[in-house]
Amino acid sequence: MGLGLLQGIVSVLVVLGLSPLFAGLVNKLKAILTGRIGAPLLQPYYEMQRLFRKETINAIGSSFISRISPLVNLVTMIIAAAMLPVGFWKPVISFDGDIILFAYILGLSRFFQILAAMDIGSSFEGMGAAREATFALFAEPIFFFSFGSISFISGYTSLYMILHSIQHQNISYEVFIVICSISVFMLAVTECSRMPVDDPNTHLELTMIHEVMILDNSGLDLFLYQYSGYIKLFIYAILEISFFYPFSGQGYLLGIIIFITGSLVLATALGVVETIASRYKMKNIPQYLLFATAIGILNLLIYTFTR
Amino acid sequence: MNSIFLSGSSLLLLISLAVQLLSVAVIWLIKNERKAFLAANTVLLGGMITGLASALLTALYPAPSGNIILYEWLRLDPLGLYFLSIIQLVAIPTIIYNYSYLRHHIDKKKSVKSFVTFFTTLLVSTQLLVTANHAIFFLVCWEIMSMAAYLGMIFEKEKKEVQQGSFYYVTVAHALIFILYIFFFILHEQTGSWLFSSYHLPFATETMGPVLFILALIAFGIKAGFMPFHFWLPRAHPIAPTPLSAFLSGVILKTGIYGLFRTFQFLCPVPEWCGWVVLAVSLFSAIFGVWYALAQHDIKRLLAYHSVENIGIIGIGIGLGFIGSANNLPVIMYIGFGGALLHTLNHAIFKTLLFIGSGIVYQNLGTRNIELMGGIVHRSRYLAIAFLIGSVAISGVPPLNGFISEFIIFTGFFATANELKNFYPIVMLMLVVGLAFVGGLAAACFTKVNAVMFLGSPRREIQKFNTNVFDYISLGILALLCIVIGFYPAPFVGMVNSVIGSSLVNGTASAILVDMNWMYISAIFTTIALAVFALYVLKIRHEKKYGKRVSDAWGCGYEHITPRMQYTASSFADELNTIPQSVLVYHKKVTVSDTAYPVESKFESHSDDFVDTKVLLPLFGLLKWLIAKFEFLGQTDIRYSVAFILITIIVYSLIAFLWV
Repeated sequence: MGLGLLQGIVSVLVVLGLSPLFAGLVNKLKAILTGRIGAPLLQPYYEMQRLFRKETINAIGSSFISRISPLVNLVTMIIAAAMLPVGFWKPVISFDGDIILFAYILGLSRFFQILAAMDIGSSFEGMGAAREATFALFAEPIFFFSFGSISFISGYTSLYMILHSIQHQNISYEVFIVICSISVFMLAVTECSRMPVDDPNTHLELTMIHEVMILDNSGLDLFLYQYSGYIKLFIYAILEISFFYPFSGQGYLLGIIIFITGSLVLATALGVVETIASRYKMKNIPQYLLFATAIGILNLLIYTFTR
Repeated sequence: MNSIFLSGSSLLLLISLAVQLLSVAVIWLIKNERKAFLAANTVLLGGMITGLASALLTALYPAPSGNIILYEWLRLDPLGLYFLSIIQLVAIPTIIYNYSYLRHHIDKKKSVKSFVTFFTTLLVSTQLLVTANHAIFFLVCWEIMSMAAYLGMIFEKEKKEVQQGSFYYVTVAHALIFILYIFFFILHEQTGSWLFSSYHLPFATETMGPVLFILALIAFGIKAGFMPFHFWLPRAHPIAPTPLSAFLSGVILKTGIYGLFRTFQFLCPVPEWCGWVVLAVSLFSAIFGVWYALAQHDIKRLLAYHSVENIGIIGIGIGLGFIGSANNLPVIMYIGFGGALLHTLNHAIFKTLLFIGSGIVYQNLGTRNIELMGGIVHRSRYLAIAFLIGSVAISGVPPLNGFISEFIIFTGFFATANELKNFYPIVMLMLVVGLAFVGGLAAACFTKVNAVMFLGSPRREIQKFNTNVFDYISLGILALLCIVIGFYPAPFVGMVNSVIGSSLVNGTASAILVDMNWMYISAIFTTIALAVFALYVLKIRHEKKYGKRVSDAWGCGYEHITPRMQYTASSFADELNTIPQSVLVYHKKVTVSDTAYPVESKFESHSDDFVDTKVLLPLFGLLKWLIAKFEFLGQTDIRYSVAFILITIIVYSLIAFLWV
């Protein structure tokens, strides 16, 4: 118990500490791939430090919602991070059925973020909020199609056990896992507002999703939002990396090595996708998400019939 | 067992009902309208609190002799007791809100005496309904309940929409009770008894099983508002006075759920197809209920559609329980029925909260159209907080009570897949995804409602916004219940567990619901709340150090921003509503000027009910057309009429002779 809890706390701290680094890594790789030098690897830390020291400006007409929403966002992300195994370490929060809690905790952060965006009373934020609400509709189905089916196959309902159950089996299972990982990757791209769904670097309000929702936040609020964004990206990265584990044996050291290589591979993948993909038109995004959902369904059918 | 047994607490229950009825006498005896109302409402409140106390006492100290209260007509079995406590629990805040709502009408010189009479009758008949053990008595209570609701609904009868909506309601209520007559007559025919406690017709051995099940599903389904029988809800709920619409949506719909549970008791164990039928109907109701809600602009209509969604979620739990019963798996019955029963309680609480909240807004702004609202948070912060709590709870988002019951139902899917391998995992996965999808839609819907009503700046000038202490007491009680059940679900789950153990699952005790890591969930939720609070304190300190100010929102260089430029409810939901456009009968009309000098442009969006406009209205149109064909029979000549009467009598007599 004591050691397990300690490991869990260490993994939460790892997620909290390294998530900006991961975002920096993705940006750096993207820059290199497009032939630029790019910002330093630690740029996200510098930006967070800068934002932390600024004064907080709230929009006229905003209410307590905008003031507590960044906090709710950060707290929910930390709780979500505490449910994920880093390496082979058992997370702090792990009980039967926590897969549902995980999905809904992310839902809570989204709920408050949409409210906070609408709280400003500007149509830019409204636009972002409406898009977020629309696209988020597909997030939970995709999540449950992937992890729910693994859960049904393994019989576990705890995220830690589900991720652990992904083992080297037969070839159809491996195909199944690979397709699952693609589905989750597409979800991660949407949820973390990366290309080709959303462009984190764009500065045109009309085309943004996530960035436009926090357009009027500054100082500490923006710091909190960005930090939660980094954590969210890292959470999805960890989910994605857990598909890599079956290709190894067990063991803590190996787990850590795979964790690090997995992060690097994933960051490269994100960088490559962001380099070669162009942004979809807004009206095509539901099709993209439906595609991710559909391969989830297809995948499950394939697996069931070949079993 | 034809004896009168009155334990202390059951006697107290009868007394409480008598006290509640006393309020009717009080209001008619006192001349002065205001005093009469205050006295009557206080008596009613006292009666209701006594009733709740007695229900809780009975739950804690069950009577030894099968809980018969009065002869064999009234009985308090755990299931009835559970629904009775829900009714009383929700009635108390509603009665408290009456102080505020009806006083407002008294000030406008409107008589509230008849409304209070009907409202009290409604409360009492609903309470008797769930304690009834005699079929005829049940039907009498059912009819009184329906009619009292109708009579209360026409409180503002001078309005055209009230006349139409209430007529719709009363028609549906009467169609429904005929099905119930047939249902109970068949039951009587088969068992020779009128008592609920003697109805045990195992589905498999009865030829009438499917008929009974279908009849019950239709009758109770209409009352509960399952799709496609939901059409009366969005018509009847908006036009009723707020306390009544809160009670209708929070409690009266649940009598349909109660009926389904009773039917299960009569027929158990049910075959598996019953479970699949209920699951399919419920999932359909849940998804399209919330999607219709998303397309509405009238807040009460929106909430009425949302009831359809929540009834769907309850139905999914019931369906799971049926599947458990068919496969003789008590674990699944516990989880399925547990989720359904707990969601019944939860929905009663947060739906009443939301109805009362929107009623307060309606009373102040004089409109139910959310497109004309906005910025109420700056007028009444506590109302906004209470409504926010209700919204978070109804969306099934942690850390409030809605999540707890949905969590149980989700667990049910996983448990069913695990217990019954075969093709079940696939179907259960579809249900998991379906329920998650419903959750996403509900969150979209309630962020929309909350944002458009309370946040931003007012789209139409708010002249006055008065709230009083009674509003806050009733909202406060309900919000507190949402929080308590969310943060500390263990005792409520335990209660549900024991109800199922003693009423729905015969013999097999199981603690599956109680053992569900509730302490973990309580701990996580408490951590979230404490962490947000702690961070808020730190944030205030940070702002003291680094500064804080307010400034204009980013307008992209445009300086004349008006509140009407904010995103509205229709623009927020437009993209989502366009997906199932034909089902929602969602149409948009844009009028844009194409001349050189821009003139006023207009945009309208509207959603009609599919069943309402595409099924019922054409059906009745057809009926009208058919009847018109027989118009020649309605001759003014009396001889024709006499001849027709004679023919009818002869036909009837012939049928009667052949029958005998």
